[in-house]
Amino acid sequence: MILPLILAVYAGPEDRALIERLKRRDPQALAELYDRYGRLAYSLVLRVVRDKAIAEDLVQETFLRVWNRVQSIDLEKGAIAPWLLAVARNRAIDYLRSSAGRDRNAAVELDESDHAPLYREMEAGLLVSDQVRRVKAAMEKLAPNHRTVVELAYFEGLSQSEMSAQMGQPLGTIKTWVRTALQSLRDELGVAVSSS
Amino acid sequence: MSCDQLRDHYELYALGIAEEPERGEIREHLQRGCEVCGPGVKRALETVALLGASAPAAQPSPQLRRRILASVGSEERRFGLAWAPVWAIAALLVAAAYFGVTSRRYANNADRLRSQSAELRAQMSAQSGEILRLNEAFAILSGPTTTEASFGGQQPRPPHGKVFVNPSRGVVLIASNLPPTAADKIYEMWLIPKGAKPVPAGLFQSQVDGNAMHVRPGIVDLASTAAVAVTVENQAGAAQPTTTPLIVAALVTP
Repeated sequence: MILPLILAVYAGPEDRALIERLKRRDPQALAELYDRYGRLAYSLVLRVVRDKAIAEDLVQETFLRVWNRVQSIDLEKGAIAPWLLAVARNRAIDYLRSSAGRDRNAAVELDESDHAPLYREMEAGLLVSDQVRRVKAAMEKLAPNHRTVVELAYFEGLSQSEMSAQMGQPLGTIKTWVRTALQSLRDELGVAVSSS
Repeated sequence: MSCDQLRDHYELYALGIAEEPERGEIREHLQRGCEVCGPGVKRALETVALLGASAPAAQPSPQLRRRILASVGSEERRFGLAWAPVWAIAALLVAAAYFGVTSRRYANNADRLRSQSAELRAQMSAQSGEILRLNEAFAILSGPTTTEASFGGQQPRPPHGKVFVNPSRGVVLIASNLPPTAADKIYEMWLIPKGAKPVPAGLFQSQVDGNAMHVRPGIVDLASTAAVAVTVENQAGAAQPTTTPLIVAALVTP
């Protein structure tokens, strides 16, 4: 469900050509995909699992998953990078949950967020270096508690109830922090995206 | 629920932390192609995707790229057919590593995976050894100075076959109808010099169909060698034959 939207956000001509080649099972296209986004995916996964060997295994899983699923979805209008990052994040959080014995159903509903069609018609170049700097700046601007809940949700895959238990704060407080933090990010990054 | 009620939950949905009933409502709106929630969730996904870029930059090892490409078979194209068995096993290793990634999450599978990995490595090692052996055999068989001799022609159902001797490369024995050896026995090949004691030339086993190929690489003084023989010996082999030769192939000096 989510994948077409995600793809829709980021498609550029180069990505579209790359997707076409991936659909034709061109291994060189996978090499180019890795050269473009491998480091970004690895950085994200390493941030989540904090183990280099496991991070590399999960990045390998990520690229194989994209390679195996790219055939079955309509990516002509989509960008692949955000989808790839969504897959990478979900693999990493799945790993965290299984290694920690956490109940999958009690936490993030991950499968929906790497559904390829949701990524259709996304803006090209969303993940270029200038935007990366803006994201980091926007995160730095958040109040510490707000930044913490965003990081717990995104990098740890915690639900708001889990954050409440971990931070020792009432669920209502956590929800307020999350909502305020996301609103701030939406405002900051919305400007960043539209101005690119 | 209305789109207005769901608006504040788009980012939560994109992050995967939306709760019911909002999560189900957003899903339902997306499924029916809602013109408000669709773009709204899309923008939320943009925001969430950007969060991934806030992770501290890190550099994977150079091997990761090769692993990923090898796992889709792209490395195979660079090599000839002679390497196909090796790369098939390498692909198995990569596949095992890939599936191992998933299985590693479960501690009770770790030992089994390590065992499989070791087994695959052993198979690859054995396969590499076999390829080396075949290359040696091919070099001997195709050498212009190779001499051949047949054996087993006169017996009712004897082991029969040929030996090929190349003075600079070694000896290849190819045999059929070899009887199965006892569990603690093995075949041993001998080079029999003229007027001297037999020289051990390696141990081998036959296949279940009675066929065998044994290669003994190295220089052979063809002029001073009278024959190639095979006896049945204990598993460790023997310094000198202890049984009557099963095979004797007399060499004719060119």
